[in-house]
Amino acid sequence: MVPSSWRADDADTSIQHAFNALETYKRRDPSKVIVRFKAVGNAPIMKQNDYTITASHRFQAVIMFLRKELRWKAGDPLFTYVNLAFAPAPDDTVSNLSADKLIMYMYLQSFATGQRLIVNYSTTAAWG
Amino acid sequence: MATYRGSPSAFATPASTTLFRRLTWEGTVPLEIRVDSKELPANSDRGLETYYIQAPRVSYLPLIVPELKRFLLDVVFDEAAARIMKEEDWWFESEEGSLLKWHWPLGLIYDTHTISQSVRPTSSSLSQAPSPLRLILHLASPPTEKLLLAPSAEACKQAFMGQMKEADFLRWGSTKRMTGLRKAEQDGLWEGIKEHNFDEYWRVASKITPTTTPLRSQSPPPMGAMHTRPPSADPQGATPDRDGAYNVRSVPVRIYLPEGPVLQDLVPPLLENGSVHTLQQFLSTHLPQLFPPSASEPPFHDLGYALVQGVVTPPETEMAWLGACMTGADGWVNVCIGVLRDGGQR
Repeated sequence: MVPSSWRADDADTSIQHAFNALETYKRRDPSKVIVRFKAVGNAPIMKQNDYTITASHRFQAVIMFLRKELRWKAGDPLFTYVNLAFAPAPDDTVSNLSADKLIMYMYLQSFATGQRLIVNYSTTAAWG
Repeated sequence: MATYRGSPSAFATPASTTLFRRLTWEGTVPLEIRVDSKELPANSDRGLETYYIQAPRVSYLPLIVPELKRFLLDVVFDEAAARIMKEEDWWFESEEGSLLKWHWPLGLIYDTHTISQSVRPTSSSLSQAPSPLRLILHLASPPTEKLLLAPSAEACKQAFMGQMKEADFLRWGSTKRMTGLRKAEQDGLWEGIKEHNFDEYWRVASKITPTTTPLRSQSPPPMGAMHTRPPSADPQGATPDRDGAYNVRSVPVRIYLPEGPVLQDLVPPLLENGSVHTLQQFLSTHLPQLFPPSASEPPFHDLGYALVQGVVTPPETEMAWLGACMTGADGWVNVCIGVLRDGGQR
């Protein structure tokens, strides 16, 4: 029979371990992902192909960056897609989306050199 | 909240598949929605500004706004207030002050609230009866930047379709199944959610969601058979293996941590050694500090629990089965992780 005070202590320790674990998982992923922007239709092209973006950034940050680089006015329509296929939720993180990207690599059975996320952008809905 | 015991190889007669899909679909969450008292228009009928609703887990905040608006106009606001009210300015907050996303299913909003309670000092253990999630409705000054999305049913539908396509892409390596649907079928998915109509939704969703037909050795039917066969003449057993839950490239799964990040990775239904990918293996791979890979490694026992559709899910549950039977209407399996408060004993 374990004294109840020990048990309480054990539970407290467990909770503390759990909180510590959650803190480590909360830490932002510092790794970088290469994002390649590709214009679709008559959307203007970007000055350079690849940009390095922190993996823990939300996709919203990618959209904002793209709009800024294109000097897009607020309210001007800009549609963004991943892998010519789907529009991600703006709170998806870049690293989560590159998991999708990896599956594309598997699908094409090609060899990825690092993680690279293809973002297509268009002035009209393309794969909406 | 309830637990269920699945038999270990619950793979799964079509009847049980339909049962779990229906249980998931019929799941509801209790919401208590109160208008922020500071924003209540003059001459409102105070004391009545709280609305209670048992809302479908698969629904969304923009879809309950019309009902809420009707209540407020009928009961709470006077005519002058009703005339100047703009529902485009509405937004929701939890009692603890977190913004509620327009494009998150209500079940996910409820479950992420449950797990965030599990790390609060005042919370008691899981076993208590479900209590309503208390929401505050603000009538003005939406923090548009943080809400990410316009507060309309149309924007919500677009976000939903995006999630469906992303899930499709993860499962099959392309969005062909989604884009192959006719416009009326795509709309039917959303209408099914709006009307909370199981049959309307699953009539279409069954074309993109993996089946749970057991693995068979025979070769798949000729290409194109799927499209030529009338859907009504489609006995369960004739479903091609390539639509099977074990044949997806990855199950669309997201892990939600209490007040923390959302994690997403590839979740193959089978591991490299050919064994089925269970929830236990999935959690101990991605969250080894909460779910140790074995009892001989620290922290020696599970420090957390996993909620899927509000249900505490047994560790032996197969990821492929979750993807076929417990998936949300947007195609995603949301695994919400709570912290056990009593030293590992539930």
